[in-house]
Amino acid sequence: MGRQVCIASAGFSEHASKRSDVNMPELVSEAIEDCLKKVPSVSVNDIDAFVNGNMPAFEGSNIPELWMTDWMGARNKPLMRITTGGTTGGSVAIGGYYTVTAELPGIDTVLAIAFEQQSQGDTSTGLASVAYGEISVLNTLGISYEQLTQLLSAGAAIGVASYQATNYMRRSKITEEDLARVVVQNRHNAANTWWAHLKMPDLTIADVLETPYISYPLRYGMVCPASDGACAMLFTTEEKAKDLCDIPVYVNGVGSVANESGVLGYNGSGAGQLDTSEQLGAMKSAELAFGQAGISFPRKEIDYAEVYSPFPNQELMWIERLGLFEENTASEMYETGVTALNGELPINCSGGVNSTNAIGASAMERPAVAALQIMGKASNQVPKTVHTAIGHGWGGIINLITMMVMSNKPTRKIK
Amino acid sequence: MSKRTQRKSMGYIKKDYIRTRTMPGSWYLSSYRFKFNITHFKPFQDKLKERKLVGLQCSSCNRVFFPPRLICGKCFVKPDRWVDLRETGRVATFTITYLKDLETGEVSERPVVLVQQDGSDTTYTAQLSPDVDYKDTYIGMPVKVHWAEEPTGGLMDIQFYDLVEDNSKDLELRKD
Repeated sequence: MGRQVCIASAGFSEHASKRSDVNMPELVSEAIEDCLKKVPSVSVNDIDAFVNGNMPAFEGSNIPELWMTDWMGARNKPLMRITTGGTTGGSVAIGGYYTVTAELPGIDTVLAIAFEQQSQGDTSTGLASVAYGEISVLNTLGISYEQLTQLLSAGAAIGVASYQATNYMRRSKITEEDLARVVVQNRHNAANTWWAHLKMPDLTIADVLETPYISYPLRYGMVCPASDGACAMLFTTEEKAKDLCDIPVYVNGVGSVANESGVLGYNGSGAGQLDTSEQLGAMKSAELAFGQAGISFPRKEIDYAEVYSPFPNQELMWIERLGLFEENTASEMYETGVTALNGELPINCSGGVNSTNAIGASAMERPAVAALQIMGKASNQVPKTVHTAIGHGWGGIINLITMMVMSNKPTRKIK
Repeated sequence: MSKRTQRKSMGYIKKDYIRTRTMPGSWYLSSYRFKFNITHFKPFQDKLKERKLVGLQCSSCNRVFFPPRLICGKCFVKPDRWVDLRETGRVATFTITYLKDLETGEVSERPVVLVQQDGSDTTYTAQLSPDVDYKDTYIGMPVKVHWAEEPTGGLMDIQFYDLVEDNSKDLELRKD
């Protein structure tokens, strides 16, 4: 059922808070150029289909792929667009995988592109446009706009994460210092990645803890930036990938799971997730993806992980929920250096979403970096050989999860 | 794939156009019309006027939704049983917001909490009484509804939550 799919290459544009030298299509083109540079024998003519996605509300221009086709080289070719909020990138990558594995006639090589130029729009307007229906309902039910601002100033992405952080900190008994340690590791890693946004090679834990609170327990120094950037991934069949690159990366398992929403309900109702750090959706998606890839002991079999963590508490939480570490032990691993660049199980060596966050692209940069680490072409390459790696993404009101398991040998169970 | 078709670099972009020009645009969110189903909310609002709390129970998994929801995500059925709830609840999780007064420039700290009403299986966003110091907030804190002076059948009839004195011995443990 479905043929084996390989990742032949992945590329990034340079990320910054304001890429005022390029517009959106040029930004996308930059990532495609970097992606195709790594596979010199592929030209735009060799690409059979395109999958594209971003989160349009953040830029204020809907259906951007309409005037982007020329810049992607998608003229007269099948083009599909996917948008699923924070997990857009992850879904686009999974879309690219499905397009190749579906064995459609004449479609062997697929380019998946995810991008976001956040400086073009306003992030709070973007988030408001997502939640506006819900806000109007709450307003109809008697909560005035004044009170809503107070309730929702803790809302948006940071609010959702800070509720989760409080939950997680109580559950695993960690301190703010543990959170700061994660940030420091990420920003140091970002300093060695050419395309990353926040590069801080000299950051210390004390520096992070000096910044004021944005929403307890998260401080300004701990949260992700808003970046402009794009990411492209080239999916192709097993046979073609062997010709194109030295180490083709096999996609062995994918998972995309939706859970009940946390923090906010629907139409003013109560929210179904009692403890937002429990994350049944993440466990389910990991189970799905690992099941397809034939991984029984993720802790032993996975060599590298890229998780979607705009906030440090989430990085600790996801690596536990995805089965990489025992529950409540993640902060110890950061303390002892297990997750560092030269550690046993390096995590987010690109700096992660904590250092670079172009929302639509972020969830795709995770599998892209993981694939490059297996190929040995990553910007901040880990010294040990990476055989199996995962790329993870979350979105929505902490209820959408995507997962991709990659390896340098085909282990997919479904044939 | 042939090696003949080498791709031309698009490096000319940056040479020719070094900067972009910014043009303002706006998007009026208030011009949209959203639909909201009120049938399941009406009994809940009527009870609020009488200062009583009710939740909607799913007949399949027995979960109680407070405030009511039209569909149970677990069972894909319509919850249809109304159950009475007590006025007490627990803080499921919290965060502290830092709001700056635009005139005076003073920053005021306010806890915003998610409350799980006793007898319900969901949480919802609420505020604590102004008497509660933000430093004293903790997960599992017992709270009680503080009613508005004249309930009108809206969600804000529950003005905020008062702290309930908890005399149980494990209180110190819980504060960790």
